Amino acid sequence: MKIIIAGAGEVGFHLAKLLSYESQDITLIDPVKENLYYADTHLDIRTLRGDSTSIKILNDAHVGEADLVIAVTSSETTNITICVLSKQLGAKRTIARIANTEFIENQESIGFSKFGIDELISPEMLASREIELLLSQSAFNDSYEFEDGALTMIGVTLPRTASFVGKSVKEASLILPEIHFMPIAIQRFGTQYTLIPRDDTQYKEGDQVYFMTSQDGVDELYKLTGKTKRNIKNVMILGGSNIGRQTAIILSEMGINVKLLEVNASKAFDLADALPEVLVINGDGRNVDLLQEENIHEMDAFIAVTGNSETNIISCLMAKSKSVNKTVALVENMDYFQISHNIGVDTLINKKLLAANNIFRFIRKGEVVAMTKLNSMNAELLEFVVKPHSEACNKLIKDIDLSRSAIIGGVVRNGEGYTVVDELTIRDGDRVVVCCLPKAIAKVEKLFL
Amino acid sequence: MTRLNYKIIVFIMGLLLLFNGGFMSTSAVVSAIYGEPEGWYILLAAAIAVLIGGIAMYFTRDHVKVLQKKEGYLIVTFGWLIMAFAGTMPYMFTGAITSYTDAFFETMSGFTTTGASIMTDIEAMPKGILFWRSLTHWIGGMGIIVLAVAILPLLGIGGMQLFAAEAPGPSGDKLHPRITDTAKRLWIIYVGFTGIEAVLLKLAGMGWFDAINHALSTLSTGGFSTKNASIAYWNDTPLIQWIIIVFMFIAGANFVLSYFAIKGQFKKIARDTEFKWYASFAIGFSALGAILIYLYANVSTSSIGHPMVWGELESALRHSSFQVLAVMTTTGFVSADYTMWSPFLTIMFFGLFFVGGSAGSTAGGIKVVRHIILIRNGIMEFKRTLHPNAILPVRFNNRAVAPQIVFNVLGFFILYMLSFIVGAVGLAALGLDFETAIGGSLTSLGNVGPAFGKLSPVDNFAWLPTLGKWWCAFLMLIGRLELFTVLILFTPFFWRNR
Repeated sequence: MKIIIAGAGEVGFHLAKLLSYESQDITLIDPVKENLYYADTHLDIRTLRGDSTSIKILNDAHVGEADLVIAVTSSETTNITICVLSKQLGAKRTIARIANTEFIENQESIGFSKFGIDELISPEMLASREIELLLSQSAFNDSYEFEDGALTMIGVTLPRTASFVGKSVKEASLILPEIHFMPIAIQRFGTQYTLIPRDDTQYKEGDQVYFMTSQDGVDELYKLTGKTKRNIKNVMILGGSNIGRQTAIILSEMGINVKLLEVNASKAFDLADALPEVLVINGDGRNVDLLQEENIHEMDAFIAVTGNSETNIISCLMAKSKSVNKTVALVENMDYFQISHNIGVDTLINKKLLAANNIFRFIRKGEVVAMTKLNSMNAELLEFVVKPHSEACNKLIKDIDLSRSAIIGGVVRNGEGYTVVDELTIRDGDRVVVCCLPKAIAKVEKLFL
Repeated sequence: MTRLNYKIIVFIMGLLLLFNGGFMSTSAVVSAIYGEPEGWYILLAAAIAVLIGGIAMYFTRDHVKVLQKKEGYLIVTFGWLIMAFAGTMPYMFTGAITSYTDAFFETMSGFTTTGASIMTDIEAMPKGILFWRSLTHWIGGMGIIVLAVAILPLLGIGGMQLFAAEAPGPSGDKLHPRITDTAKRLWIIYVGFTGIEAVLLKLAGMGWFDAINHALSTLSTGGFSTKNASIAYWNDTPLIQWIIIVFMFIAGANFVLSYFAIKGQFKKIARDTEFKWYASFAIGFSALGAILIYLYANVSTSSIGHPMVWGELESALRHSSFQVLAVMTTTGFVSADYTMWSPFLTIMFFGLFFVGGSAGSTAGGIKVVRHIILIRNGIMEFKRTLHPNAILPVRFNNRAVAPQIVFNVLGFFILYMLSFIVGAVGLAALGLDFETAIGGSLTSLGNVGPAFGKLSPVDNFAWLPTLGKWWCAFLMLIGRLELFTVLILFTPFFWRNR
């Protein structure tokens, strides 16, 4: 597949990285030499320096033969222009990154595909959806639903009270045989190393563990992990940017009391104008007195989404110290992800990573139905529709050789989710969710496709 | 901006005199129809107005068409004054009113749509003069519409930017991008409603002359009647009074909403916060008044007859709604003496004097929109003490109102109250009793018409001392022009360059 990525910012670079692992034919275009230099030296891709809205540059990138053009520069209008031009020049599919959520809400009525834009991606919107999902399962710090919730992936940090701390995976599943859950990835406390658990792997206190579970398993996992389900009633959001605003809208529609802190006075007034249900407060979120005045200790969740990653992390730590149960910080710098759990912030989100994953999912449409990257871990979750002539088809799951770099998390058959499926035979049309380390993606794909 | 553009001010004054003269000549025509000799004098007055206006315009025809805010204030204030001075001519020339003070009071009361009168025997007046009297209301009403849609929002006075605005801002609610077009559309509605009311009143039993005069003075929320007893003259014809009640309600509502109604956009009306409050006030107080009148009031003590043609309940409801709307919309028609019903009702009507109609109508007073903002801001103050850093804007029509506008409204309210008190003090200094002084100040400032005490609905202003009449005329002018417009001319910094 021939892919052109316009814009070598974090989204563009991350995408190029993800795609280059799969040995796709990638051209990365950016006007800034320095942006390209790093990608050129680290990734197996072609780079092209220049303005992506230039027709000459697009032709140089052979846009006419491109299967996909992804416009992810920081400017929304540039992205739209790139997509329109590319489509006219012969590109098969186009994706534009946008910031204005109105475009996504009115996608149908405007008919962007008529102009030549097949998909719109808004990192801000993805981020606010992610926050919403995280809050609805407040005890867990990551979650992702497959097939409308037939299978759910959740991430949790094991507290001392979890009943299976110290037990092996096999022992843990024997304690409660009626509960179907499947550990798919573990990160030990204080390390940055992801391991794919097997029967003999031991759960330890402080582990970040990802589970696959079927529909009703989510509630049961609460008991097992020693966490209590808390209804979120009061939320404080720091930063009235696009994400803060979107999140405030979504949360207040769910009937949650939202306090939104914004440091810029006129921006705060506009927010108060647009969001009558939200209490908008004009002030600096790093000001402890202000936070206390606004009863931060009564908050069920604290979401820091200002433009400054450090502010977000620090204020989340402050919220934690005021015994706020759930903290979410928006972080631009990917390196911080590695240490997020060690420093105590429940969840870090990165809108660029979200966008890249979302675009990646779109690219793999038809083959890989859904995919997500595990937060803070170097592992991916892929959902396949099993092809009839694939290697794994009609085999018992326990007979499939996956080595230690991948694990089958669950199977969805006729809309019903199954976990712990050693004795199941994979059939044509099954949807299989696999967790694997990046190096094994190609191998896993071959098995099912 | 270095010097005031006097030429354009004079030019516009000339233009206003031309208008004035034109309307005067229609009164002359009315006089002619009834074969009154006074018609010639009215025509003379018209000719003088046109002549002076024409000369003024001729000598300033090379004016620069640039208007700054300062010129705006001067034009508005002096425009009204010039109109009032010129408008005295028909009264003086025909000898209908002999004292110049009285003539000026009557014209100012007309152009400011107040409706307070010094005439003791209205019915004895020539028809041409009565028609001119009603016309001054109607012209004043037209002026107020222009003022409301074009001038006050520009000058940014007391939150007049709001109206039924979709988006609060200096633009107000523009029906059409160009302000002159907006004004024209509203004028057409204004003229149309006047015509409709005149026809309906005729059908309900009035003569054409009375019907047209009352239509002119209803739509402008004026209050001049052609009868000594005002609308109480038709107390035996409930239909006439109900028609006037409906049209008073329309005249006190935002004309922009009438425009929406005609275009069939009823949703916009239902969504309009000010209209909802205005309608609730009108209906609520009418109902309360009706119950109290029905149960407690002894109508026989009033000097006005209360024939109960359609039964006692209807009579109570009708007089209550009539007076509530007459006071709220600052029309000032009289169907009954509200000071004679009960102490509670007197106080209720005293309160209603402060309400006023909607912004964008011809009504005077503080106006409902300002009350809404004041009340909501008051509620927000409580919240603000709990959350000192929170942004808690006052919301109006689902939009946040800029703090600047809230301050504006607060300022207006305070200035209104001060003017009311100073006005009352002035009248009391001239020897008026407490109740009368307060009522006279309030009714002049709010452009209502009748007041309390010795200026009750059955009295008139003829007995006021000369100075008192000028004082009341001044209060009418500042009240009509939303205080700031006139009072700013008394500030030293207005006249200083830069």
